[in-house]
Amino acid sequence: MWELLICFMATVAFAIIFNTPTRLLWRIGLIGVFAWTIYSSIQNINVSFIAAAALAAFSASFMSYGLSRRHHVPVTTFVIPGIIPLVPGGKAYETMLAFVEENYIEGLSQGAATLLHAGAIAGGVVFALSVFSIGRGVDQKYET
Amino acid sequence: MAEKGRLVDLCLFAGKLMVAYGAETYRAEEIMNRMALAGGLKNVHSFVTTTGIFLSGVQEDGDNLMQMVRIVDRFQDLNKVTEVNQLSRDFVKGRINEKEANQQLLKISAAPMNYPLWLIYIASGVAGGAFSYLVGNAKFDMIPAAMGGLMSTLFLVLFQHYLHAKFFSEYLASFFGSVTALTLVYSGYGTSVDQVIIGTIIPLVPGIPLTNSVRDLMNGDLISGLARGAEAALTALSIAAGVATAVSLFLP
Repeated sequence: MWELLICFMATVAFAIIFNTPTRLLWRIGLIGVFAWTIYSSIQNINVSFIAAAALAAFSASFMSYGLSRRHHVPVTTFVIPGIIPLVPGGKAYETMLAFVEENYIEGLSQGAATLLHAGAIAGGVVFALSVFSIGRGVDQKYET
Repeated sequence: MAEKGRLVDLCLFAGKLMVAYGAETYRAEEIMNRMALAGGLKNVHSFVTTTGIFLSGVQEDGDNLMQMVRIVDRFQDLNKVTEVNQLSRDFVKGRINEKEANQQLLKISAAPMNYPLWLIYIASGVAGGAFSYLVGNAKFDMIPAAMGGLMSTLFLVLFQHYLHAKFFSEYLASFFGSVTALTLVYSGYGTSVDQVIIGTIIPLVPGIPLTNSVRDLMNGDLISGLARGAEAALTALSIAAGVATAVSLFLP
């Protein structure tokens, strides 16, 4: 519960940094909490962090898409702050630290993990948003 | 001739605002196409990259129109993206005419940030503290991480204002933020250096260019996707270099 509250705060704080409209702030916070819940609960049942990140990003963008339809705003406004709790900040830091300490093997493996994690998030987002473009043709992608 | 020229100016202005404040490429192209078609141009084509925008069309009498604008500065302001999006809808549906649209765009582009600066500082503090808790599950690290996050945004805004050099001011901001965090940890506040530094640098992370880069690439907008990716990578590199400098000063 405590963790979810902190996650909500983090997402809303990022939404303020990215200057999103005020009326959407609490909804963005809920998307962040939702993404984090999926991410951490899937990892508890022994699924790799990559699959967990991809699934969490997928469901968060799915939810963002629905909300952006309802409020007539670009879906970016919801997606970018919403996936912030999934960002592999820790792994990126470990990568950099390993390279600074001249521990190149450790740095490369951490770097690969960081790239895979980031790629999984991006893949989840893109996949969720492409699902809605099916059947609309190339020129009809005004997704709001 | 002059009338349609003004229409093209309007479309380019809208597209410029979209790209400069963090919209995806295809959304800017879509908005420009729709506005130009609604204004009476034919055979409209637009080409948007991260650093410049092109728009061409044919008038009723068969003359070709083609213009471009250059985009120099890029910021993160999703509120402006939302407002321009709404304005383009209104224009396409005919609720506002060209003159009103132009006035509204001028107003949007001159509008200040949605939130006061002190709230953004506090938000980056909160973001830093909360993120360090999510990464490491240690409550004692939250306060130094929040201090570090606040300091790094404070320094970022300060250096950006005086230096006008984006990547160098990001480097300096992450350096001074990390020095604050390391000083706090070594004087006894906070338990783990790693988590405090992660919280410190997270407000600087280039979230919008990173996400948009991937979405542009997947959409087939390869040039602007690569350009945004390069921007995000350079920012990440300067943040990492700043932290590395601070850490290697403190390590021995």
